[in-house]
Amino acid sequence: MKKVHIQGRTLAMIGVLVPLLALFVYVAIRSGPLAPVLVTATTVENQSVMPALFGIGTIEARYTYRIGPTFAGRVQQVSVDVGDRVSAGQLLGEMDPVDLDDRIAALEAALKRAEAQVTVAEAQAGDATARMTYAETQAQRYEQLVEARTASAELLDAKRQERAVAETSLASARANLDAVRHEQTRVRSDRDALVKQRANLRLIAPADGLVVSRKAEPGSTVVAGQPVVEIVDPESLWVNVRFDQLSAAGLRADLPAQIVLRSEGGRKLAGRVLRVEPLADSVTEEILAKVAFDSLSGALPPIGELAEVTVTLPALPPGSTLPNACVQRSNGRLGVWLIEGSRLRFASVTTGAQDLGGRIQILDGLQPGDHVVVYSRRMLDHRTRVKVVERLPEGLR
Amino acid sequence: MINLAGRDIQHAWGKFIFTGVGLGLLIGVTLTMAGVYRGMVDDAMVLLDNSAADLWVVQKDTLGPYAEPSSVQDDLYRGLLGMPGVARAANVTYLTMQVRQGERDVRAMVVGVVPGDLGQPGQPRYLVDGRHISRSHYEAVADVTAGFSLGDRLRIRRNDYTVVGLTRRMVSSGGDPMVFIPLKDAQEAQFLKDNDALVQQRRRTAANPAFNRPEVPGLLDAVIASQSANPHVNAVLVQIKPGHTPDEVAGPIRRWKRLQVYTRAEMQEILIGKLIATSARQIGMFLVILAIVSAAIVAFIIYTLTLGKIREIAVLKLIGTRNRTIAGMILQQAVGLGVLGFVVGKIAATFWAGIFPKYVLLLPGDAVRGIVAVVVMCALASLLAIHAALKVDPAEAIGG
Amino acid sequence: MHDTGIRVEKLRKRYGKGDTAVDALKGVDMQVSPGEVVGLIGPSGSGKTTMLKCLGAVIEPTDGRMTLGDEVIYDNGWRIKDLRALRRDKIGFVFQAPYLIPFLDVTDNVALLPMLAGRSNADSRKRAMELLDALDVGHRARAMPSQLSGGEQQRVSIARALVNHPPVILADEPTAPLDSVRALAVIRILNQMARQYETAIIVVTHDEKIIPTFKRIYHIRDGHTHEEAGEGRTFE
Repeated sequence: MKKVHIQGRTLAMIGVLVPLLALFVYVAIRSGPLAPVLVTATTVENQSVMPALFGIGTIEARYTYRIGPTFAGRVQQVSVDVGDRVSAGQLLGEMDPVDLDDRIAALEAALKRAEAQVTVAEAQAGDATARMTYAETQAQRYEQLVEARTASAELLDAKRQERAVAETSLASARANLDAVRHEQTRVRSDRDALVKQRANLRLIAPADGLVVSRKAEPGSTVVAGQPVVEIVDPESLWVNVRFDQLSAAGLRADLPAQIVLRSEGGRKLAGRVLRVEPLADSVTEEILAKVAFDSLSGALPPIGELAEVTVTLPALPPGSTLPNACVQRSNGRLGVWLIEGSRLRFASVTTGAQDLGGRIQILDGLQPGDHVVVYSRRMLDHRTRVKVVERLPEGLR
Repeated sequence: MINLAGRDIQHAWGKFIFTGVGLGLLIGVTLTMAGVYRGMVDDAMVLLDNSAADLWVVQKDTLGPYAEPSSVQDDLYRGLLGMPGVARAANVTYLTMQVRQGERDVRAMVVGVVPGDLGQPGQPRYLVDGRHISRSHYEAVADVTAGFSLGDRLRIRRNDYTVVGLTRRMVSSGGDPMVFIPLKDAQEAQFLKDNDALVQQRRRTAANPAFNRPEVPGLLDAVIASQSANPHVNAVLVQIKPGHTPDEVAGPIRRWKRLQVYTRAEMQEILIGKLIATSARQIGMFLVILAIVSAAIVAFIIYTLTLGKIREIAVLKLIGTRNRTIAGMILQQAVGLGVLGFVVGKIAATFWAGIFPKYVLLLPGDAVRGIVAVVVMCALASLLAIHAALKVDPAEAIGG
Repeated sequence: MHDTGIRVEKLRKRYGKGDTAVDALKGVDMQVSPGEVVGLIGPSGSGKTTMLKCLGAVIEPTDGRMTLGDEVIYDNGWRIKDLRALRRDKIGFVFQAPYLIPFLDVTDNVALLPMLAGRSNADSRKRAMELLDALDVGHRARAMPSQLSGGEQQRVSIARALVNHPPVILADEPTAPLDSVRALAVIRILNQMARQYETAIIVVTHDEKIIPTFKRIYHIRDGHTHEEAGEGRTFE
């Protein structure tokens, strides 16, 4: 056999071909069908999951008062403007009374007349009473006299008749007095009613608060029930929050909450769930709740602003947990991929609650310490061969 | 007997490798083109696979939700859940739009999915980083093709979303990356315009006396509120129970609910047969031409290389080398060149496939087909050259 | 012994047919014994090249008889089947230019012929080395042809012609490009090899420098040859 002679050019050729071949083999192994799929793994850990609920809400005032007339009319004046603070009983505005004042004056006059009539009727009744008394006395005297045969029976009859007449006069005068008193009451009531109505045209603040809306200007016509001024109680702001029904299990009053206002992304305010509304929204499939601020310092947030509310539920007892990226559906079953050497096995699991950081409870199907796939570069099936790495590489899409 | 082909290559190895590399780049281009074609088809297939749906329920008489716009009520899924054979039904919206992050704009397909419930059709099936969406608003899971990282803030229409998870190969049929956001936010994004348009709309509504009746306070607000709500989604994705066939479950839905229902096979036909058909044909056409041109160039190179050796061939013939040996030398060189070219081409294609903006799928089957084609082509080309060589008259070597 | 070598009798070669036919060779006789070196001289157009091609079994003559070594290779229309094997085994060629295979080293250029004849690589290379040493180029055994001087290449080509120990060697203008010193050196080598390996060598030439060295010369003109005694000058 000829001695193997390594020439310079042979060396050079080998120097090019061998790396080329090596590269080719590398390519075939790393990216061909022989290549194992890279995955990252984690172990099932016994942890306590602290679920939390997340919802979006709007800042609202607990009490909003819409002040307006009870009758259609014209606005005469509005005394306050948006942003004014008002106290209970303060005059906010007035409707145009039109002829109401005149009608009250008329009724006042009528009332006075009625009172005068009552006086007259009282006097008349007094007069009739006096006459009655005299007639009675006369009748009694003449009865005595007739008994003593000093007066004639005719006179007695005449006096009796005068007494009877006086009785009826008295009755009549009393009746008249009653009538006139009732008339007086009626007129007074009419007047009171108009006065009340007149009072109604004055728009009064029912409680302390802040004017947030001025809905009608002087001179405009409003109908009954249409608000002219809206007042809210700024001390009583709360957040009207909507939670997705799917993930609202465990929501109830008195849970602590964290509120982040949209305009102040960083500032977290503390709060508490005040109540869960008994009526949910079936169209949007959301549960409504009211969350109150623990304390509000500084400038008040504008009403209507959006806020993100996170309600922390009490921590659940410790159990098997996994990152929620592990959970997949394969062939219709929900579960995770267990790593056994370089092969995979699908294990069905029953999941429990999740927290907002993506940790989910595994109620059934796994043991603590099981090795499970978290991230993979491809869809996995039971035939896939895998290689566990620390982090998935970013290149070679 | 020494191997003449091997000796010749060894002697002029630089030229051989140089030619091989050149050929290899050409072959690499052809392999890459095949990869581009396959990538296009795979984008469409991966869209179907990723939705994990057995049936697509869309608006009647549309080819939606991918090929045509489709709109169905968002409470429709409740009725579908009750139909026989339906295991899961989930609302989903799709909207291709620009997503802004920082200074840059990325074209993405924004997918609205119901958050919190894992394993529903339409949701990302597996992640490469991060976690699934857990909050009901303002979180997003994006595909790595978009170039976002965990923690990035995205702006979609009027809201900001935080990227909490990353996926791979979740793309639209056009290769645009998908960004998954909660369904309600997606419904709002599909419907609500920017602030200016909203204000205009409110003004228009307020100016309409039918809606702005003073004796009915609250009517205007109610009308505006109803205009701002969007109770529609683009499709409902359905997974069927084991033991049922898709057609069997789809039939009643079509009949009783008066909707259009597509099975996986029908959706594939729509996507591949209609949506990407023209582009795929375009690329396919180019691929064929490229392959033919590459083959011609390979043949030409080998022929030329052989012609350059006519003198040596004449001498070999004269001193008594068999035709068979000479033919073997040419054939071996041609095939060797082809194999070298293929190796270079496959390596090049694998490495530069990652630079392409859309997915390039290099199938092993294509590689096998490629190498077979290259070897056959080289052999055929060498036949031409062999024919020329064998016709050489050994008497040429003798002067005159 | 006398009959090995090469002999042609009444060799005819006609090109073309009918009226336009040309007789390049019109009945040529030639005989060269083993160990002899003869010259073949003639102007161009004399049929010299055709003669060489017939002698080299590259073309077939139209008529006549050719004997090579112990074998009749052509006889009035009949010819031996495998011309290529004949060339490989029985005829050695030395050309004007060395015509070495550029991608084989010196040893393999020479060893190629025995390998083609079916000998083992080791054996072929051993024979090649023997010849290269005899021709005084053994020290260049590993070099590629492009690294050799013209004279060295010519000697290698002579070694190649000799390696299969063919009974006849045809040399076509082997000294044309060489100066007188080198030309005489080549002729000396040829004579030496002819004696050593008992080979008949025909040298086609018109080089004045070497013509005096031949003992016998064939002149060819117009399709006919005639033999002439040469000077036979030898050189120290």
